[in-house]
Amino acid sequence: MNEIIGLILAAIVCWLNFVIVDTYFGLPEQPGVKGARIIGESVKKRKGDIAGGFFQGNILCSPDASAGTLMASIGYLVLGIPGGIIAAFLVFIGNRLCADPGYAGTTGSLTATVLIFIFSFIGLTPEMFIVGMVIAILTVQGIDQVRASIILGKIAEKFNRHAEE
Amino acid sequence: MFDLVHLTVNSLAVANVHGLANITISYFDMILDYLVAIIVSIIIALILRVPLMPSDRYSFDVSAIFPTPIIAMGVLSFFLVLNYTFAFNGLLLAVIIGVCSALFVKYLFYYVFPSPEGGDDK
Repeated sequence: MNEIIGLILAAIVCWLNFVIVDTYFGLPEQPGVKGARIIGESVKKRKGDIAGGFFQGNILCSPDASAGTLMASIGYLVLGIPGGIIAAFLVFIGNRLCADPGYAGTTGSLTATVLIFIFSFIGLTPEMFIVGMVIAILTVQGIDQVRASIILGKIAEKFNRHAEE
Repeated sequence: MFDLVHLTVNSLAVANVHGLANITISYFDMILDYLVAIIVSIIIALILRVPLMPSDRYSFDVSAIFPTPIIAMGVLSFFLVLNYTFAFNGLLLAVIIGVCSALFVKYLFYYVFPSPEGGDDK
């Protein structure tokens, strides 16, 4: 497959994977640690959405499905499917060290491994998923934090996981 | 664009489709090993009276569904990619790892990963 098309497709798949898994496991609902609360309130002060801010703070402060997807892509590139599972195990250890229960990160790694395996049949390689995941995190954290938080807040409302503030 | 990555990584895992060149047992045996490790770990955890499900999405309690099978699968993966499969195409190894991960979750988990106390920002 053409590299550029593959990158765009992989970025979309990664974005959907980590946003859906993270939202389902309640990242927008409450800040896990103090740093996440501070980021959420800072985003709200800049007219963003508090749930999206908590989401961004949580994925910044501990390895959630975003880091899980990235780690699973790297593990898959190096060691294949067992590498993706090793990534899930390591993400779980990292989660516990960051005072995070670790449901989102582990599930995100495992779903990412399955997705990379499925999409390998249409020609997407793990390298594309690594770059795609970096692009996906850039759209959430890097380009425009306030607008990204509003979109994330809308998704959180759809999943009934919006912060009660 | 990815040539450097390919050269570097593929020198570690030469001539394989899914990076499984090291592994000499068949795909079927691998899947069977993973299933055995998952099922044995869950059953032993239940016998040791670890609860089946976590109480909610934010609890730090261990349970038979999470993280026991994750630990079993992760440790089994390390053995598989190093091609240490021992007897019966890895089945014996899968059973031993399943039992050990259940014992670890029941008796050692909180010693290794203590749950945060007082630092919770709820």
